[in-house]
Amino acid sequence: MTELHFTDVQRDCLQELVNVAMGQASDKLARYLGTFVHLQVPAIALVEAALLSQHFASRYQQQSATLVSLGFFGDQGLRGETIMLYQLTNVGVIAQLLGYSDDAVSEAEMLTDISSVLTTTFLSGLAEQLENSFSYAAPRILSSRDRDFADKLAYTAEQWQLALQVDIRYQLTDYSFNCDMILLIPGEAVLRLRQTLDNILADF
Amino acid sequence: MQLDWLLQPLLTQLNTGVLVLDAQYRVVFFNQFIARRADVDLAKVQGNLLEDVFADLPLAWLRRKLDSVLHLQVPAFSSWEQRQYIIKLAHLRPLSSDSQYMAQNCSMLPLTAPDGVSRYICLLIEDATDAYVYQQQLQQSVMQLEHANRTDGLTGVYNRRYWQQQLGYEIQRAERYQHPLSLLLFDLDKFKDLNDQYGHQGGDFVLIELSRLIGSLLRDTDLFGRYGGEEFGIILPDTGMTGALQVANRICDTVAQHKMLYNQQTLKATISIGVVSYFEQSVDELIQRADTALYCAKRQGRNRAVAYQPELEGYLKKVK
Repeated sequence: MTELHFTDVQRDCLQELVNVAMGQASDKLARYLGTFVHLQVPAIALVEAALLSQHFASRYQQQSATLVSLGFFGDQGLRGETIMLYQLTNVGVIAQLLGYSDDAVSEAEMLTDISSVLTTTFLSGLAEQLENSFSYAAPRILSSRDRDFADKLAYTAEQWQLALQVDIRYQLTDYSFNCDMILLIPGEAVLRLRQTLDNILADF
Repeated sequence: MQLDWLLQPLLTQLNTGVLVLDAQYRVVFFNQFIARRADVDLAKVQGNLLEDVFADLPLAWLRRKLDSVLHLQVPAFSSWEQRQYIIKLAHLRPLSSDSQYMAQNCSMLPLTAPDGVSRYICLLIEDATDAYVYQQQLQQSVMQLEHANRTDGLTGVYNRRYWQQQLGYEIQRAERYQHPLSLLLFDLDKFKDLNDQYGHQGGDFVLIELSRLIGSLLRDTDLFGRYGGEEFGIILPDTGMTGALQVANRICDTVAQHKMLYNQQTLKATISIGVVSYFEQSVDELIQRADTALYCAKRQGRNRAVAYQPELEGYLKKVK
């Protein structure tokens, strides 16, 4: 297996592209949702997927969370999956955020709707930065609030082995609403991503 | 090779609904899939607002979704699992599905015209009715399994495992809300004699008949289970000792007066009941005390209810 690692230059380049995509997403989301959306500077790491669940279990210790997954595909074999993590005592916040009031909207639907908006807005910006474009699968709820999400994540992670993990926290100030996004790019696609980064770097 | 000619026949044959809207959500195009299932003619409705073409849309929700596609230029999705359908369309399984309308997966995609300015939205609608039907069947099976898993096969009351589990929950609830809770444990008197006289089928008949009779005397919230053999338990939530004794006596009297007809013979049976009220005992302690009271009811001549008191323990030791 080819050694999967990023040089400092490659990592900086990716970090920069992610930052730009985040800035754009933050701006678009703020206008659409009518509230300030703060995206924290992401942590980028190449991780063993098996350790992922531990990482998040320690962060969400003894609390239940909802996971929503959304897969994407681009050209040149670039593909991945985002997982949104929510810890909500009250999904009413999302209903307000999305402007759902007079409709019967289920909790599951609110979660998939907000996930789709938050992730695809960021990802389409990232695709643009990578001179690519993504197509998306419909978001799916991986676990509901009462299930142990670490188990679920461990199960999901089995399919990834080694993955590029980009960890982004969304904070919506007006609604005191937080969620985390993990962007996972599986081993094979990381090689393609690295190639893309090299091409971009060569252009400078 | 020139492939443009493919487009029209493909759109017509495609087993997916294609519906295109402009930025004002007016209908620009839909393919045959939608035209046939919604029974509308594109030429007649082209340029009309979406909601004027298709009746009963979840409009507020849908507009918000379409807004996100238009303003964020990202796709939006809707799954039949969350929202069974968006547009009322006929489906091809009218006989084998209990749903009148097609279950739909819908992707809403942003489109830009070649002029680079005009924005459109393309809705792709897939028929998920099969998945919907299978899931309904699965849910039904799961419900049947859950029912079977908590039911005693012979009498139809709860089985021991489920009943005892519920007792644990009721104890927690009583503890948390400081509510009273009582437990009846009863046993058919001289069940062995019944079996000897009428055979095991006769014994089974009595168990079924009395379970039905006693069940009819209980509230919906009471939990009636078969503890084993001819021994049964009833959990009485929100009931103190006085209430529990009343219930127990009523059950005793009703059973004693009840005549059962089995193979042209009239049959009668009596039961003995042990009654205990919850006071910080464990599940096992509670059952143990009810059992002690039940044993005393038997010793005192059967066909009666006896409330547990600590003194009974001494009585039990004496007769042993």
